[in-house]
Amino acid sequence: MKNRAALRSRAEAAASSLPPLLIAAERVASSVAPGTHGRRRAGRGESFWQFRPYEPGEPARSVDWRQSAKSDRLYVRESEWEAAQSVFLWRDSSASMDYASTPNLPSKRTRADLLTLALAALLVRGGERVALLGSGAAPGHGRYMLESLALLLERGETGKSESGLPDFENLPRHGQMVLMGDFLSPLEELHKRVLRFADAGLKGHVLQILDPAEESLPFAGRVRFEGMEHESPLLVSRVETIRRAYIEKLARHRDGLASLTRLAGWSFGVHRTDQPPQAALLGLYHALAGD
Amino acid sequence: MLSLGPLAFAAPWLLLGLAALPVLWWLLRVTPPAPRRIVFPAMRLLRGLVNPEETPAKTPLWLILLRLALAICVILALAQPLLNPRSPLTGGDKLVIAIDDGWASARHWDEMRAALDELLARAQRDGDDVVLLETAPVPGPGAAPALSIERPEDAHAEAAALQPRPWPVDRDAALARLNGLNPSGIAQIVWLSDGIDHGDAAGFAAGLEKYGPLRVRGESGNALPHLLAPGNPDDQDLTATVTRADPALPETMTLRVLGADGRYLAQSDVTIAAGETSALARFVMPAGLRNEASSIVIANEASAGAVLLLDERWKRRPVGILAPGAESQPLLSGAYYLDKALSPFSEVRQGDVASLLQGGISVLALPDGPPLNDADKTSVTAFLEQGGTVLRFAGPLLAAQEDDGLLPVTLRSGGRSLGGALSWEQPLHLAPFSPDSPFAGIEIPDDVTVSRQVLAEPTPDLAAKIWARLSDGTPLVTAQQRGKGWLVLIHTTSDPEWSNLALSGLMVEMLRRVVALSQGISGATDKPLPPVQVLDGFGQLQDADAGAEIVPAGEFSRTLASPHHPPGFYGDADSRRALNLAPAVKEFSPLPELPGAERQSYAQRAAEMDFRPPLLALAFVLFLIDLAAGFALRGILPRPTSWKPDTWKRGAALLLLALPLWSIHPARAASAPEADNFAIQAASEFHLAYVLTGIPAIDTESRQGLAGLSLVLNQRTAVEAAEPMGVDVEKDELIFFPLLYWPVVAGERAPSAAAAAKLQRYLATGGTILFDTRDASLGTPMAEAQAQDQLKRLTSGIAMPPLIPLPPDHVLTKSFYLMQEFPGRWTGGTLWVDPAADQVNDGVASVIVGGNEWAGAWAVDEQSRPVYAAVPGGEGQREMAYRFGVNLVMYALTGNYKNDQVHVPAILERLGQ
Repeated sequence: MKNRAALRSRAEAAASSLPPLLIAAERVASSVAPGTHGRRRAGRGESFWQFRPYEPGEPARSVDWRQSAKSDRLYVRESEWEAAQSVFLWRDSSASMDYASTPNLPSKRTRADLLTLALAALLVRGGERVALLGSGAAPGHGRYMLESLALLLERGETGKSESGLPDFENLPRHGQMVLMGDFLSPLEELHKRVLRFADAGLKGHVLQILDPAEESLPFAGRVRFEGMEHESPLLVSRVETIRRAYIEKLARHRDGLASLTRLAGWSFGVHRTDQPPQAALLGLYHALAGD
Repeated sequence: MLSLGPLAFAAPWLLLGLAALPVLWWLLRVTPPAPRRIVFPAMRLLRGLVNPEETPAKTPLWLILLRLALAICVILALAQPLLNPRSPLTGGDKLVIAIDDGWASARHWDEMRAALDELLARAQRDGDDVVLLETAPVPGPGAAPALSIERPEDAHAEAAALQPRPWPVDRDAALARLNGLNPSGIAQIVWLSDGIDHGDAAGFAAGLEKYGPLRVRGESGNALPHLLAPGNPDDQDLTATVTRADPALPETMTLRVLGADGRYLAQSDVTIAAGETSALARFVMPAGLRNEASSIVIANEASAGAVLLLDERWKRRPVGILAPGAESQPLLSGAYYLDKALSPFSEVRQGDVASLLQGGISVLALPDGPPLNDADKTSVTAFLEQGGTVLRFAGPLLAAQEDDGLLPVTLRSGGRSLGGALSWEQPLHLAPFSPDSPFAGIEIPDDVTVSRQVLAEPTPDLAAKIWARLSDGTPLVTAQQRGKGWLVLIHTTSDPEWSNLALSGLMVEMLRRVVALSQGISGATDKPLPPVQVLDGFGQLQDADAGAEIVPAGEFSRTLASPHHPPGFYGDADSRRALNLAPAVKEFSPLPELPGAERQSYAQRAAEMDFRPPLLALAFVLFLIDLAAGFALRGILPRPTSWKPDTWKRGAALLLLALPLWSIHPARAASAPEADNFAIQAASEFHLAYVLTGIPAIDTESRQGLAGLSLVLNQRTAVEAAEPMGVDVEKDELIFFPLLYWPVVAGERAPSAAAAAKLQRYLATGGTILFDTRDASLGTPMAEAQAQDQLKRLTSGIAMPPLIPLPPDHVLTKSFYLMQEFPGRWTGGTLWVDPAADQVNDGVASVIVGGNEWAGAWAVDEQSRPVYAAVPGGEGQREMAYRFGVNLVMYALTGNYKNDQVHVPAILERLGQ
């Protein structure tokens, strides 16, 4: 009895220290995938998948004798493939992510953290192993992993990069990676990194997270723009005159992003902070589960 | 100074700054506002987009205009624009200010002082010297000090000490003083007049105009002061004559009678019709109150002329007539004729000697009657010694009596019959009164004859005692001073048996003189009269100071109010004589046309207005707007688009909160929703209701009273009364209330015809109204009469049923508590009800009238503590008042239920029978 009480108190303490970000991420994740999904193919695993006719050459011990006894044929019992995959998550933690055009919108960093964690929660629930790229930790699974991930994200210590791009690491082949960020840096840099990862046999998904103001440049009049990463300020006498050009330039940049990821065989998505996170999460999850 | 119509600039050269405005325009155009600063991440994308040729951004047009307006405001303010500037003086450097500081200036003294201060301020600014000429004579001995030319600062000090004097101005003397100074180089003469002619205005104005251009300031029309003159002291009522200068328009004012301690005694509105200059104000007061009156004042007008001081002559002296028992044939009773002759000017009481003397009288009149007993004789003698006047009449009974020692002369026994059957002589007329008689000056009608009289024994001192004789020289009235009092004997009867004197007006006049003689007031005192209290210029009584002099003996009636004898009370504390201002006022009429002089009233003149402060304030506001606009353009202020809707809501709420500030005043209109709300509120619960009188104190008392009664009802009975409601009979529907409490107060408006019809319907359909005349406390017949008048006025449009005093077996005495007395805050008043038939409205009387101020007894404050003391019974009386209230509500709600025979045994048992 005493042990059970102690356990319970520990559990409650753990529950109470659940980071708020994790709770939000869980809520988002639960709305996307209610329940575990298998890999929907036969493979190593414990749960039953299907019976198939015995094919010559297979070891005899693979025959399911109970099933075969019901008829004249021999059947092999296959279980569902539940091989856990390693997914490396990365989100941009440069200063430019701390931007929200109005107080009503979350900053890009907040949204990126939320999506990262929600995706991690989904993956952990699906049995995958998750790691934060750049944290140096090995991919893990289970709820504990999720909590440490949340702590890492909340502290914002890991993956600090000035460039706004992930640093290359040696990663297990056939792993997957998810990159989130505003990706406003020059395309060449990103191209190099992506190719490097792709060459290493990793599949990846790139999600560009932008603030609505960054898409539409809704300002007017005489404005002195000041960057967030120590760029020199820029005085624009009439912002409305350059709005169209800006939007076109952003579209070109985004096309470039899409084509370079396509070249690497990766997927590319765009998310705006005024959109619900569920849409982006669903897209990412399907992209991950699709292959 | 630059003048543009009524507008002028004190520093016009600063307007040249306006010429710099185009430069400012250009400068503002090329200097754009600081850019907004926006933090933006996508700098890399932006960087290539910006055109290298950066055209200077233009300042928005509205901002330029705003800043130009700001600049214009500042420039105009610096130029000091003045509306209605005082024109500068030309042609000299002296300013003569003549100011009327007589009694008539008190009414507009504040305006006059303001005008004087303005003139002196201007003189100070322009560096002009000032001659300050006061037109009222100064008190004290010696001539007025000579005029001098003063610096404005000194004149300011002198002006600060100016006060209106309680006597008329003497402008001729003032002009003589000015002529004595004979100043030259006078730029302007301003006469701050009191608006009254005083008979010397035209000459004064002409005299002033010799020295320079004259400007006259003064009020006119109904704004002129009023003068209170004595009415007839011997009138039945207290009267005063209000006189005004300008008869053009009708005018109504309120006159008040004050006691010596400043108490209100009575009030009367008097209207002077158009074309009239005077009206008589009449105060109907009981003699007791009238004798306390010390002055009559015009409400809201403080001047020595608006105060009428009253002395002994205005007092009605009580006269006691010895009239033992009721007379079966009053026309044969001497007391009857005496009563008729005395009542026009005095308060007459009848009774036996003991009760009359105990009640306090000035004159004891003894018609012919049986001899006084010894005790009465002693008390009458004592009354005489203490200063009372005893007036005896002869008659057959007196003629037959022994001398009882209460006769001024020794009488021959018997009497004298003139013109009888056995006499050769004809009834005699009266001889003219001798000048030293108290009756001197009374005209003697031809038809007054005396046919019988009693005759005095000729003694050496007889001649000195005779006040009136018959034409043959025999005394008709003799008098003798006994102690401090007078013993007067009329040698004939007070009824027409011996003489028709009793039927003539002469009798009234003679009695008036005798009564006036009582209490030591005679026509001419031989003592000098020192001032006791004198009026100041504003009509306030002050202790006499050294300036007031003693009125020499015998000259009081000829004395007019003057610096030597300011109006006030003279004499000693026991017998004061009032010296009033009115006889000293000559020519009480408005200022005549003054040719060549500029006339202006005090109010009419628009004061000089300096626009500098408002312009600077406007400039400051513009500056703040500019600051805010600058911040907004630089993005420091939150942008309107990103404001939350809450912000607008909050702003709108603030506006809504501010709205009532200017919508407070509109008259309450009975809009349909309001009436509906009232009906919903009134009908959803049982409310006691009171009629709103419009007098806040009374309404509060009613509300608190009914709140207290509701509390008691809720505690003790099954009645669940909610908060009491005030009802406006004009506007609100009454049908929801079974009972209305209606305090009857003076000054309440009588309901309109529509409201009266509503009340009538209310009464006819079962409503009950408790009229509370609140007069039981006052106890005086006058107060009662006033309350009854007021009640009559209030209910004039309603068919009031005839009322009877509450019968002892009325349901009200047993509807909840058994009680026979119905005290309120006061006790003792009679409760009147209308004798409702049992078939109508369940036998509930529709009208109940009483005067015990029940609401006062019921009233509780927020902490449920009683508000007013119940007099005289204290808390016991309050309890009874609550019981009455409970009975009343029960009665209104249950009707004659308790009158049912079913309850009789229980009631009888409780009554212990």
